[in-house]
Amino acid sequence: MNDIALRISLGEVCECEQVSRQWLVTMVEHDIVIPVSVAGEVEDWMFDTRSVPWMKRAIRLHRDLELDWVAIAMILELQQQREELLVENRCLQQRLQRFLVEG
Amino acid sequence: MEFKDYYQTLGVAPDAEVKDIKIAYRKLARKYHPDLNPDAGAEDKFKEVAEAWEVLKDPGRRAEYDELRRYGGRPDQQFEPPPGWESSAGAGFQQFEGDFSDFFNSIFGGGFHHREQAAGRGRPGQDIEIELPLFLEETLEAVSKPIEYRIPVVVDGQLQELKKSLKVTIPAGISDGERIRVRGQGAPGRGEGSAGDLYLHVRLVPHPLFDVEGHNLLVTVPIAPWEAALGAKITVPTLSGKISLTVAPNSQSGQKLRVTGKGLASRAGRGDLFAVLKVVMPKDSPASVRALWQQLAEQAAFDPRAEWGKSA
Repeated sequence: MNDIALRISLGEVCECEQVSRQWLVTMVEHDIVIPVSVAGEVEDWMFDTRSVPWMKRAIRLHRDLELDWVAIAMILELQQQREELLVENRCLQQRLQRFLVEG
Repeated sequence: MEFKDYYQTLGVAPDAEVKDIKIAYRKLARKYHPDLNPDAGAEDKFKEVAEAWEVLKDPGRRAEYDELRRYGGRPDQQFEPPPGWESSAGAGFQQFEGDFSDFFNSIFGGGFHHREQAAGRGRPGQDIEIELPLFLEETLEAVSKPIEYRIPVVVDGQLQELKKSLKVTIPAGISDGERIRVRGQGAPGRGEGSAGDLYLHVRLVPHPLFDVEGHNLLVTVPIAPWEAALGAKITVPTLSGKISLTVAPNSQSGQKLRVTGKGLASRAGRGDLFAVLKVVMPKDSPASVRALWQQLAEQAAFDPRAEWGKSA
């Protein structure tokens, strides 16, 4: 049976992405990612696996473009809002189509 | 392999100062970074720009590159490093996400190899993400799904793709957009590095009848005008069978009837089903029925556009 999870610890993210603990703590301080649990040591903070792509994106932007964390927080917030609006728009379009009648 | 003119890639003169090269790199990197530019080809362009910067920002590597350029490298010509060429500046460069080109590796000796040596340990394998389409019905209970995907592996120094198959148990109550992490099923690590993870990006397949709103479901229920006027008992589909529903007299199109606990499963319990009423007219009516409509029109003193008259 494969080992599946819907959460990932801060320590595991640091190991997978080869980044320092401080980077992750800074991301949390800027609300780029929000832990679902902050019990125990910092390494044990847990994140929803939905936030992994956003963490990776933040790391790439910081590493590749040397953007500061405030700028990254703003970029990701806007990108997340855009994604949410696209999903909402698709759902509303689908619901609308069920009500419309071809003339 | 073709010679790469890194100065041309960044749009700078060969005698440009590092600070000017950095400005050019930053502009192009912002323009083509795949996290900021979704266009096809942007990622490849970003890799070219990043590779050029990786070489030109370092005085030692830049000097070696300039030497090769003087040796006769031209962008549209085949290039081979001079016999016995060995870089002294390759090791120790910063970690970079993408692979470098063959041209870069032929000069500086292959990025990963030097990074591993410099770090003195392995490197974790790449995480792999694939989409996992699920039918709404499959989210109600835990379901075992066969998964097939490909992982990049290095065989005899060549990058190849390996097909993998797994069976993964998807927990009940999974929702659209969630990412299921399957530990250690990504690409193998290098050296002593651990394997990456596989991420299954859950996508709920659109249903012909139901729409999803969080953990609630909506089903559009067509009803006849007389059912809306007089009320009716109707049969409505749910994800797990049919139920009977009472439509109250004088119901409206768009009105929602809530059925508790017949929505999607979630970790907080089952969501609700909302039946959205949609009053529909028969396509054709015989003369006898038309006469009844006529009678209704004369007797029912109802103006559905009365509100317009007030504001006009």
